[in-house]
Amino acid sequence: MLKMNNISRIFRSETIQTHALRNFDLNVSAGEFVAVTGPSGSGKSTFLNVAGLLDGFDEGDYSLDGVSVKGLSDDELSRLRNEKIGFIFQNYNLIPDFSIFDNVDMPLRYRGFNSKERKRRIEHALEQVGLASRHNYLPSQLSGGQQQRVAIARALAGEPKILLADEPTGNLDSLMARQVMELLFSLNQQGSTIIMVTHDSDQARAVNRNVQIIDGQITDHSIYAPMSIPIQQPA
Amino acid sequence: MEMLIYYIKLSCRNFARNSLFFTLMITTLAVGVGVLLANLSILKSMASDPIPEKSDRVFNVSLNTWPNKNTLHEQPLPILRYQDAMHLLKSDIPTHSLVHYASSVYARDSESNSLSRFSASVRATTQGFFPLTDAPFAYGTAWQQPNALELVIGDILNQKLFGGGNSVGKNVEIDGKLFLVVGVLKPWKLKPKFYHASNGRAFNLTDDIFAPLEVALDSEWGIGAQQSSTVRISSSSDTRNKNSYYLQAFVQLDNAQQKASFQNYLDSYSQSLKDAGQHPLDINNKLYDVNAWLKKNNVVDDRMLAFGLATVLFLAVCIFNASSLLIARYHGAKFETGLRRAVGASRKDLFYQGVVESLLIGISCALLASVLSWIFLQLSISFFPHLEDIAEIDNELLLLGVVISVSTVFFSALYPLIRSCTTSLSAEIK
Repeated sequence: MLKMNNISRIFRSETIQTHALRNFDLNVSAGEFVAVTGPSGSGKSTFLNVAGLLDGFDEGDYSLDGVSVKGLSDDELSRLRNEKIGFIFQNYNLIPDFSIFDNVDMPLRYRGFNSKERKRRIEHALEQVGLASRHNYLPSQLSGGQQQRVAIARALAGEPKILLADEPTGNLDSLMARQVMELLFSLNQQGSTIIMVTHDSDQARAVNRNVQIIDGQITDHSIYAPMSIPIQQPA
Repeated sequence: MEMLIYYIKLSCRNFARNSLFFTLMITTLAVGVGVLLANLSILKSMASDPIPEKSDRVFNVSLNTWPNKNTLHEQPLPILRYQDAMHLLKSDIPTHSLVHYASSVYARDSESNSLSRFSASVRATTQGFFPLTDAPFAYGTAWQQPNALELVIGDILNQKLFGGGNSVGKNVEIDGKLFLVVGVLKPWKLKPKFYHASNGRAFNLTDDIFAPLEVALDSEWGIGAQQSSTVRISSSSDTRNKNSYYLQAFVQLDNAQQKASFQNYLDSYSQSLKDAGQHPLDINNKLYDVNAWLKKNNVVDDRMLAFGLATVLFLAVCIFNASSLLIARYHGAKFETGLRRAVGASRKDLFYQGVVESLLIGISCALLASVLSWIFLQLSISFFPHLEDIAEIDNELLLLGVVISVSTVFFSALYPLIRSCTTSLSAEIK
């Protein structure tokens, strides 16, 4: 599904150059749930940006669902992002004055679906995250966990090949974090491929594969048996 | 089409979300465009061709027949003596010829019970005036005899005296004399009034009364325009055989051969006067076509041109201001731009969305600019009162206003839009 070979990403300023990723190799197969961990500044976000085609890379090869992304135009990268990737952000990134329906609708608009097909997909995605009855709500009328579920619905509506989640529970309390994680596990069990950047070691251990990045390189690659989510209930 | 509707919907949401910003921006640009439009409407009236279908075939006749060596009169004069004018009219070379002078009278409907008289501007002229100027008749025709007590009246006077309608056959009383109305003109605006473009009269309304020249002289209707004489003149009719210069002449010459023949006719006439010792100056006669004649009379006011330049610069300042505002606006919208890019919008998609938004702002700006331009035009007219009757914002100018508004908004938005679309994606969202 996702193949990165020898990827390097270098940020240059007038006086310094920083290797955010160096000789980075990673293969993720369809249906996997991969947690990416590492300390701040280790290159996790850069990896996610490159994987999500939000940023380019300087060396190496990257193919997503069999398509090599090297040398693709902005239009082609945008189409690939739209069709194959679903993003889940730490800050949810919902447009505050758009209804839930319109927020989920956004990626579908750029896909060129007709209104009937968009409606079907939005309703299905909102149903998947348990918010079907709230499509006319504004984000501000929902809790943080519900907002993140809307963001997940937005990511799911395009039926992407892979979900990229950047600390999806980072802004949530433990109960809501658990609900979101349950949702992600459920989606993974239904066949979604998920790569999740997280600081939470418990969450990382809960998924079936953990990749640790330090100084732009993978330093640990652990594979676990699937297990239940060890998130504690609030007192 | 669906995306276009989506972009319009997004733009409307943006307007509602940032109403203060958009009001400020639209007002900034509308003021710039409005001032420019008001100025253009005046310049257009000043610089327009009053008779485009034949302006290159209608010529003012300027002769040099001054009887003594006065360096002030070495250039050909646009005003002619009666005898010079009559000589021109004798020629059968021009397709049409006219001579005229301006006067004014008080007129009333002879049948009216009221003794109130209306002030009326008079063009004392010859029958050729009407075909040469293409004066539009609503009723009747020109007079047929040069000494007939007959008039053609303009639409405004017809309204005042007779309440409009077909007034042919009615009588107008002027200074106790009755004049038969033989023709009534339709509303007629010449922009500028080329047949009397000198002496700052180019933007006056067309006249109320058109009367036979001989009748006007015999009636002693005063000469209400530039007049130069070498002798004392006691009355209008006294000008016929004296060196009194006041008549203006125009001819219609339809081809180069006609023009050359007529120029030769004029030069021969001047030469014959010179040979007879009636004027000592060099032969110097000129035929100015309508546009050259308007230019020679500085019909386009230099102050207006300077003001025009200032309004263009002012619009440029407005564009820079709007552009700065838009940079701030797109900076503020980075999050949404980044998000849209992340979920699959290409740079092209965002650019098109920006263009649609610009178009909508441009149309709003055009509507406001149209209203403001009318207000600014009224203000301008207060500085240039002689333009009151002709300065107007016509459909062509309104269309131009829309084009300028949309273009200025587009150009104001272009740089901020390009910057917004090319910003690094990963920096914008977390």
